[in-house]
Amino acid sequence: MPTIVDIAISSDSFKTLVAAVQAAGLVEVLQSPGPFTVFAPTDQAFAKLPPGTITTLVQNPPQLGRILTYHVLAGKFTSTDLAKQSTWTSVEGAEIPINFEEGFEVKNATVIAADIEADNGIIHVIDNVILMG
Amino acid sequence: MTVTATKLPPSKHPYAEVIHRLEAGGAMLPDTPENLMQIIGLYKAYAVPMDFYWRDLLYIAERVFLEPLPFFKYFLPKEYLDLPNHYAGDTADLMIWRGQATAHPELLAFMERGETGKMPRLFHHLWHDRINMEFAEMCMRSMLWHRGMGGRFDPYLDSEEYKANANRAIEAYFRGNPAMLSLHKLFPEMFLEQCRQMSYYSNLGLFWEVMAPVFFEMSDLYDEGKMTSVPQAMQFLVNGIFAIAGRPIYHHVYIKGECFEIIPKSKGFTWLYEAALPYVEAVFYRTAPFRGTKSYNAQANQIPADQKDFHYGILYADVFPVGTAGIPPTLLMQDMLHFLPPYLVEYYSKYCRGQEDMLIQLGVSFQRSMFCVTSAVIQALRQALLYPLDDPNPRHLLKNRTFFEGQMDRFLRPEARLNAIQNQAYR
Repeated sequence: MPTIVDIAISSDSFKTLVAAVQAAGLVEVLQSPGPFTVFAPTDQAFAKLPPGTITTLVQNPPQLGRILTYHVLAGKFTSTDLAKQSTWTSVEGAEIPINFEEGFEVKNATVIAADIEADNGIIHVIDNVILMG
Repeated sequence: MTVTATKLPPSKHPYAEVIHRLEAGGAMLPDTPENLMQIIGLYKAYAVPMDFYWRDLLYIAERVFLEPLPFFKYFLPKEYLDLPNHYAGDTADLMIWRGQATAHPELLAFMERGETGKMPRLFHHLWHDRINMEFAEMCMRSMLWHRGMGGRFDPYLDSEEYKANANRAIEAYFRGNPAMLSLHKLFPEMFLEQCRQMSYYSNLGLFWEVMAPVFFEMSDLYDEGKMTSVPQAMQFLVNGIFAIAGRPIYHHVYIKGECFEIIPKSKGFTWLYEAALPYVEAVFYRTAPFRGTKSYNAQANQIPADQKDFHYGILYADVFPVGTAGIPPTLLMQDMLHFLPPYLVEYYSKYCRGQEDMLIQLGVSFQRSMFCVTSAVIQALRQALLYPLDDPNPRHLLKNRTFFEGQMDRFLRPEARLNAIQNQAYR
């Protein structure tokens, strides 16, 4: 089976995410056995960020890396697993609230495709970049 | 600007009117041309001394460092006046202000002539014809002292890693000075705490390095007729906050030509989480009780025991005693007085005691402008953590409403000036 990074690269909707992961130097981490649960924002999600945000982040890899690792959980969790608990601790260290009141929502993002299995984890596609705080 | 009809039933909050305005994409400050003129004029007047503040804060953090007798810490060397701002001019990482990256011409003119005339800098300083840098240091100390306001910066100052980095710099700084080195051996916490304070100098300097060009650009856009409403001004701030959110916050010290990374950029500390949000909390909301308005008497119980209950920031401040003893913001008001745009001087001349009480009138305008900045912070948080204002889902709108109401709860205490600024008669 392909890894999380392979899936993202082969898809058409994660161009910004792949570029960001490369800029932050996180490719190796996400290729490793893990496992990880990744909430992957689509290109449209990145496009919603105000102008300049991405420029500044790409200039500063450690800061970009911090935002990206907020989208990752250590361990492989399907949507059924995630429903068991209302907050999860991200790899970044901050909490991610998850709720199933009305569909599958991760903080202020909605999951548009859940449970995409990879060799070293699982991907849930979200429609917003999520931010700590 | 997204403006939508509120789909929710009206809020029952005492500040319902303000909440509905925020939900429609507005600011806490009513959208009137008079308000816009006041806030933009004050951004301009604030940005010039701020251009000095951030340069001097970085100079102190990076060069003066632990100097035991820092007599000349307010005497900026040429290299710090020429230091290119990262967000202005042609060399910018991300150009916010189209003007120059080195010190602002009005600032340089003031440093040369002051209110008196051309004379050596030392005399300007002794005659107190200068920028009141103590105000910037007061803001810095407020951030240092109000700990635990979120972000990773403050917890990092207590880590073993920070202590080791600081220790290396302290030993290098005092190399060849046995007296200071043995003091450091005897009281290892003493210089370490000074070093933490220096890290906050750097933090605040890096924060203001961004705000100065943002304010200059707003003033230029207003002069060009391209900024015509309060919500537009607020939206410009919101975009600025997002654009710079990821800029690194760090503390580098230069000792005898060598750079010591006390807080390296690689820690991933960001402008938004480690500088901007703690700054707003520490300076806009909390700060410390003014010595001239509150009694520190422990029996009188005038001052809260809990730091999170402090409410002495600009959003709560009584501006009318500005210019009297024991009112710290006077320092800033006096600094801004030199750089008011002509349209504001003319405006103040028409009201109250004309130019006689301009310090107070500009203080009130400054308070209005900071309510606009706080509105931008609240909208930016809403945008980052919650939902768009035109979200079709009523459950999402309700979450936005709850967030706005929670923010307005902080202004329910009687000292808050939110009610006052709704009215132009408050001046």
